[in-house]
Amino acid sequence: MSNSVISVISRFLEEYTSTTPTKLKVVDSYLLYILLTGALQFLYCLLVGTFPFNSFLSGFISCVGSFILAVCLRIQINPQNKGDFLSISPERAFADFLFAHTVLHLVVMNFIG
Amino acid sequence: LHIPGSSSRFCLALAGAQALTPSHHLSLSDVARLQSLLSQPFTDLESAYYSVVGLTKLGAVIPDQNIPVSNETRDILLAAVSEDSTMGQIHRAVSALGSLGLPLASQEVIGALTARIEKEDNVMAITSALLAASRLSQQAELGGILEEIEDLTARLDDLGGMYLQFEEGLEATAMFVTAAYSLSDHVGVEPPLKEDQVIQLVNSIFSKKSWDSLAEAFSVASAAAALSSNQFHVPVVVRTHGPATVSHSQPTLQLLVTDVMSQPLTSANVLVESANAASSKSSILSQAPFTLNECVGIFEFNFMSSQPASGYYQFTIAVTGDKRLVANQVELKVKVSTEVAVTNMDLSVVDKDQSIGTKTTRVDYPSKAKSSFVADSHQYFAMAFQLVDVNTGVELTPHQTFVRLHNQKTGQEVVFVAEPDSKNLYKFELDTAERKSEFDTISGTYSLCLIVGDATLENPILWNVADVVLKFVDEEAPATIQPKTLYVPKPEIQHLFREPEKKPPTVVSNAFTALVLFPFLLLLILWFKLGANISNFRLSPSTVLFHVGHAAMLGLMYVYWTHLDMFQTLKYLAIIGGVTFLAGNRMLAQKAVKRIASEQSSRLAKYRSLR
Repeated sequence: MSNSVISVISRFLEEYTSTTPTKLKVVDSYLLYILLTGALQFLYCLLVGTFPFNSFLSGFISCVGSFILAVCLRIQINPQNKGDFLSISPERAFADFLFAHTVLHLVVMNFIG
Repeated sequence: LHIPGSSSRFCLALAGAQALTPSHHLSLSDVARLQSLLSQPFTDLESAYYSVVGLTKLGAVIPDQNIPVSNETRDILLAAVSEDSTMGQIHRAVSALGSLGLPLASQEVIGALTARIEKEDNVMAITSALLAASRLSQQAELGGILEEIEDLTARLDDLGGMYLQFEEGLEATAMFVTAAYSLSDHVGVEPPLKEDQVIQLVNSIFSKKSWDSLAEAFSVASAAAALSSNQFHVPVVVRTHGPATVSHSQPTLQLLVTDVMSQPLTSANVLVESANAASSKSSILSQAPFTLNECVGIFEFNFMSSQPASGYYQFTIAVTGDKRLVANQVELKVKVSTEVAVTNMDLSVVDKDQSIGTKTTRVDYPSKAKSSFVADSHQYFAMAFQLVDVNTGVELTPHQTFVRLHNQKTGQEVVFVAEPDSKNLYKFELDTAERKSEFDTISGTYSLCLIVGDATLENPILWNVADVVLKFVDEEAPATIQPKTLYVPKPEIQHLFREPEKKPPTVVSNAFTALVLFPFLLLLILWFKLGANISNFRLSPSTVLFHVGHAAMLGLMYVYWTHLDMFQTLKYLAIIGGVTFLAGNRMLAQKAVKRIASEQSSRLAKYRSLR
């Protein structure tokens, strides 16, 4: 049973490293970074309690928001999805990503206290 | 005790046809306070003017000052009288010229004042114009300026029907009154102020008892002098000297009749127009004069000679003798008090089934019954007495007639009300069986006291009449009654300050801060391993500008966290963001062009290679 899980995972990793273009791998490593940061924040909150709650929320929402925006960027710049996003060039996707981040950071900074 | 104003308002509410009387005036202590404020040593010319002239108005005597005047000074003063000077300047110039006895062209002054009134429409300016006009010759045409009094009167604010004042404040109102009467006296024309308005002005001006500045004190002193000695309206202040109470020991009602500055109006005639009993409205007196006690300037009236019964009486008092007097009809509530005596106090223990004859004991005030009375459940205790007026013998029904029983051992106290019957004979009965709940069925010796009191009685009575032994059935063990702890200090409340939230130890938070930075390191390592680089970085102006702008925005976020608020941040963000957007747009467009060109060329190469 565990054997099949391991083999599935290793096959997935192999395919991933071979077929994914570098650009997307860069974005994926960024996603991993955001994920880890968010998980660590959550772990801290579980350990020591929610004081100050607003700071925890703003930090966690920042991670979640960034993750979502990065996922959107990845979808939009993936050449395999080009058909779904005919009017949105990768540069446009990146510009949207930056603008949305500005708004997110404004909100997060306001709430961080 | 000062009654006229408040009682007159009450009558105004009921009758609706009576005139106002002053509710405020300057008492002798107020005048003294005003004088002491004006007597402070002066440091400049303005203060000197206010002090000297103010004190003169209040009746002090200031030694004459001789001031030499040069021709230049005179010319300066005359030149100041023109349309181009401010109203204040014109007024001061005219007053100086008048006081120094220098000649003045009245018609020229009137012209300047009229022109100035058009330009300076405010209250203080027009008041200064009125004061200046009152220094001019009486033959001059002052009619136009006189009309300004009526215009200013229309501008006064009525506050609740009691006060009339300018919104500019006390000084403006007081100076207006001074100026209006000063000019009216000078010209000989009655000012267009109705009696009620005069009293409302009096209330406004004299309600403030401590004055902020010398100018304000001066204006109040001027108004007080104007209202006590002008030719047309002199408000009268009527107050009682001491409480408005008469009795056999104090049979005269004493009144102080003064002007607004508390100077007695000894030449006036004071008359009681009518006196009615407050409760029955029956008339006791009509048209009875007061006599003037020369040595103290007080008007006296012996009310007790009319032999009034005790109670309250409504007096209407009229002050005549001078047709300038305003508010000269006053309502006054007078109390007639008397002394009470308890007579025919009969105590008895009555048997319920009437099998044993009743024995009545008579007790005289203030002694106590020699033996105590015993009452158990088969009997009741009875008390009868009369309350009479010592002086007239009339029966009284005071407001408070209580019978108090006090258990000496337990401290328990029970109070009953004694009621008069139709013949004004007071009766009190204590049925031991019926009333046992009030006594908590505690048997024992109770001292019995009679309490008599009323506002019109000078001698309230607390009389320990007798001791009564009450025997109740179903007696419980007597518990000592705790005296009511109403007025004992309560236990102190400790304020519980808000507990600060429990924070994790600094070590833990610091450790996690370091831990959170670790994934960033991982990111950099991964990117390096993937071969992400900045080799494609074209050093064009838009690129540089974009990156600088973007870094600036991130920096702004940090500054926002530490120093700024949302509005400032949005302002800066708009500027930096705009620049960054334009630069970024340019940069990305360039990148797009490059990408499309490279795609096209690679497609072309593939096409060519396929051929």
